[in-house]
Amino acid sequence: MIRPFYRFIRAREKLMKVLFLLSSVFAVLALLVIFLFLMMRGIPSIANIGFFRFVFGTRWSVSDPNNQSFGILPMIVGSIYVTALATLIGVTIGLFTAVFLYKFCPKKIAKGVRQLINLLAGIPSVVYGLFGVMVIVPFLRNNVSSNGMGHGVLAASIILAIMILPTIVSITLDALHAAPEHYYEGALALGASKERAVFGVMLPSAKSGVFAAVVLAVGRAIGETMAVIMVIGGSPEMPNGSLFQSIRTLTANIALGAMEATGSILDAMIATGVILFVFTLFINVGFNLIKNKKKKPNKKKKPDKEEEATDEVG
Amino acid sequence: MKKKIAGLLSLCLAVVLGAVVLTGCGAGFDPEKPIAVVVRETASGTRGAFMEIIGLTGKDDPTGVITAPGTPQVLAEVRGNPQAIAYESLGYVTSEVKKLKINGVEATVANIINNTYPIARPLSVVYLPATLDNPLFAAFHTFLLSSEAQVVIRDMGYVDVNNANATAYAKPPLSGGTINISGSTTVQPLMDVLAEMFEDLHSGVTVVVAGGGSGTGRTQAQNGTSNFGMISNEFETGGTTEGLEFTMVGGDGIAVIVNTKNTYDNLTLAQLKNIYDRDAENRITKWADLA
Repeated sequence: MIRPFYRFIRAREKLMKVLFLLSSVFAVLALLVIFLFLMMRGIPSIANIGFFRFVFGTRWSVSDPNNQSFGILPMIVGSIYVTALATLIGVTIGLFTAVFLYKFCPKKIAKGVRQLINLLAGIPSVVYGLFGVMVIVPFLRNNVSSNGMGHGVLAASIILAIMILPTIVSITLDALHAAPEHYYEGALALGASKERAVFGVMLPSAKSGVFAAVVLAVGRAIGETMAVIMVIGGSPEMPNGSLFQSIRTLTANIALGAMEATGSILDAMIATGVILFVFTLFINVGFNLIKNKKKKPNKKKKPDKEEEATDEVG
Repeated sequence: MKKKIAGLLSLCLAVVLGAVVLTGCGAGFDPEKPIAVVVRETASGTRGAFMEIIGLTGKDDPTGVITAPGTPQVLAEVRGNPQAIAYESLGYVTSEVKKLKINGVEATVANIINNTYPIARPLSVVYLPATLDNPLFAAFHTFLLSSEAQVVIRDMGYVDVNNANATAYAKPPLSGGTINISGSTTVQPLMDVLAEMFEDLHSGVTVVVAGGGSGTGRTQAQNGTSNFGMISNEFETGGTTEGLEFTMVGGDGIAVIVNTKNTYDNLTLAQLKNIYDRDAENRITKWADLA
């Protein structure tokens, strides 16, 4: 009587094992299929256009079926430009926010503010886009812009900077909290001011965490689509340095065309996706490298920092 | 501590209020400022029709435009931006934006029907006169102009032509058969819907709708491959249309819209072209250039 029951349990166990295995395989499979799809459609398309003409071509023109040109350099530069500016704004604000929440803010407020900042991460990007179109763009157009354009590089950068804030603040704050508290106390004991102890000792010892935050933020910014196409203008022009120029990012290029495009244009969109994929791949690999490096050099460097602090104060 | 919280809160409030005030003010129309040219993405049908009608087929958009990824975004931009100009299918234009007259003619359904508003194209079917001797084809022809069909045409964002004297479709007894229609890809989605309605009304009747372009529509109607050809441009008698008759079933009008604060009311077609043509010799980039 017992044996069949036991067998049943064994079978059930096995079944569940297979089920869990399948579940875990699913994620990997999804990645693989996306990768294969991009490569199978994208690589021939890039080869068709010509790799150098595609990646270094400066003219994107698809209106005339007899005279098309698929150069995405303006979009590559545009993506890097907007992301760099957004990271600059976002990291500056985010870093100071994290430092403030770490030691300079009453504990009760810090908790609340941190929750609020994390809430930012949950807002859908189309809402950010709406906010951009309704508030940021008119504000820039009426008060800041020199050429009457509110749309463009700066509007997109500001929106992206807000979107990456939660990433930067929470990872930096975690890194600061993870750094040994006695460094801070040591610095104070040696006569350093609170500001000096945080900026001179704690922040450097949380350096790798800060870097990780920046890399992750860059990844988020470069992949953002909806919020960007709503405020960036979308002309496929090479950025000329103006903050109020209508330009296009890689993601915007795909989103503005892929819905209705057919034939060679659709192929070029998918090829753009390949380039974007390569970009994000590099960023993710970079993030993992920094994360894995985190543990070892930190221990080595910390004494240095302490000495430094001692020197300066002494 | 309480003071600090109060301070923080009031600071936040001040920033928000300041932003709101600054966003609102200074938003007047200034003809000396550049025109904010709003366009649709390249694959958009509205864009294709607009560029074709103003004579810029196959041209890219000018530099520095605002690309709106859809009709709502176009309207939102024009509503909020005093410097903006945009094009949009007449059926979607709301009263929150201002329609510009083109060559002095207002964009209205009436002016599209009487052929005076230039940025419009008639959507017609062409056929050999003998076609209407067949009761099935005659019934379909009557159906296209009936109130049922015209309501659908209007609902799909096109201009209905026969709204005043359209009568309800009196369903004649039909024994079945096939109607072949081909031609303009602009009319095709509309005809697909109408064909389906007609099939539902008469069991046993099949309506086959194919594309091919307006030119195909003409030739196939002429040589009898199709019973009806669809055309989305002007019908000219003679030449390729020898022996054909046409019936306008609808119109596709594109309005040029600006912000309600904009002081201009009229544009010539040439001026419009100079705004949207990136290679124009005397490109118009600010509103004052129009005077």
